[in-house]
Amino acid sequence: MSIINYASREIQFKIVYYGPALCGKTTNLSYIHQRINPQNRGDLVSLATAADRTLFFDFLPLNAVVIKGFVTKFQLYTVPGQVIYNATRQLVLRSVDGVVFVADSQWEKMEENVESFKNLEENLAKQNISIDEIPLVLQYNKRDLTNIAPINYMEYVLNNRKKRFQSFEVISSTGQNVFAALNAVSQILLHKFSKQSDVPSTVAPPVAIPVEPPPQKQASA
Amino acid sequence: MNAIPVLTIDDVATLDGVLADFLKKSEADLTVVIDKGGNVISQYGDHNVTDVTIIAALAAGSFAATCELARRIGEVEFNALYHQGNGSHMFMNSVDDDTIMITVFGQKTTVGLVRFYSTAAATGVANLLKSLRRGGHGLEFTAADISAAPIFSDS
Repeated sequence: MSIINYASREIQFKIVYYGPALCGKTTNLSYIHQRINPQNRGDLVSLATAADRTLFFDFLPLNAVVIKGFVTKFQLYTVPGQVIYNATRQLVLRSVDGVVFVADSQWEKMEENVESFKNLEENLAKQNISIDEIPLVLQYNKRDLTNIAPINYMEYVLNNRKKRFQSFEVISSTGQNVFAALNAVSQILLHKFSKQSDVPSTVAPPVAIPVEPPPQKQASA
Repeated sequence: MNAIPVLTIDDVATLDGVLADFLKKSEADLTVVIDKGGNVISQYGDHNVTDVTIIAALAAGSFAATCELARRIGEVEFNALYHQGNGSHMFMNSVDDDTIMITVFGQKTTVGLVRFYSTAAATGVANLLKSLRRGGHGLEFTAADISAAPIFSDS
């Protein structure tokens, strides 16, 4: 959380898109950049390798008027998903206010999803932030592909905790639910800083989650 | 509820005074005070030089990335960084553990002059922020102040 400059009447929030390699974090930011009113956004800055893989981070600044009397600036960052870039992920997470965790729905990516989520939890803990306290939403991305895990399985793997996160079925390449997830995490973090700190009513209620084993495992058994 | 620390109008006037004095003496174009997370705290000078928000994000990243380089030679971090262009240059120096000052300058001045005056300016900014963090004001707003409509829309 930054210091607010009362003269410019601006509040800045930092939202980080986190997740395993090639899960669609940069695609989320690209879609938002393409579709949002140009007056409400800055340039999309990508620090990528020649092969278009995120090396440091992607950055997209957005403006909105959501708190009376203030211009609210949301700064969207992605982290590099590849395992070796953990030091970079820690740098990008500095002063983070909210997180969108992007999970890849494909069966073969489930282990990477879990590892990345654990890595997020560890990196937040290094900043003395509990994953249960930070505003966070889950995206189950690539729902248009054929070899994907059912939602209840993804919920069991990634959202089976005392405090459940709001989750979205997303197709970041077409934009399905990309804005819904962004709006949800923005609302949760705004309410965190408000006097009446009730979280928005859209948060998923805690329910028992049925488990379905992966079909691939059944086939090999 | 978490109150957000605020620079009041008086704080901003004091800060602007320090930054204005620095720009006048160093003949630089723009100076921006940011936190190490990449958020802009204050800025002074020619705002048309560039998008300050993006400069802040990239400068914080650049500063953080060189910390590891500094550790390799036994330093905690480099206190200052200089990026030399053909016509425009950038100088960054550490203000305190959480804050960086970025200065953009052109052909009118030299890096030596900017570096010389930035030291005093950084001390002035650090003192102000120190007193703010010790017991400054906090912004509070209620849930009623937050717009219920979707914040961002897919056009």
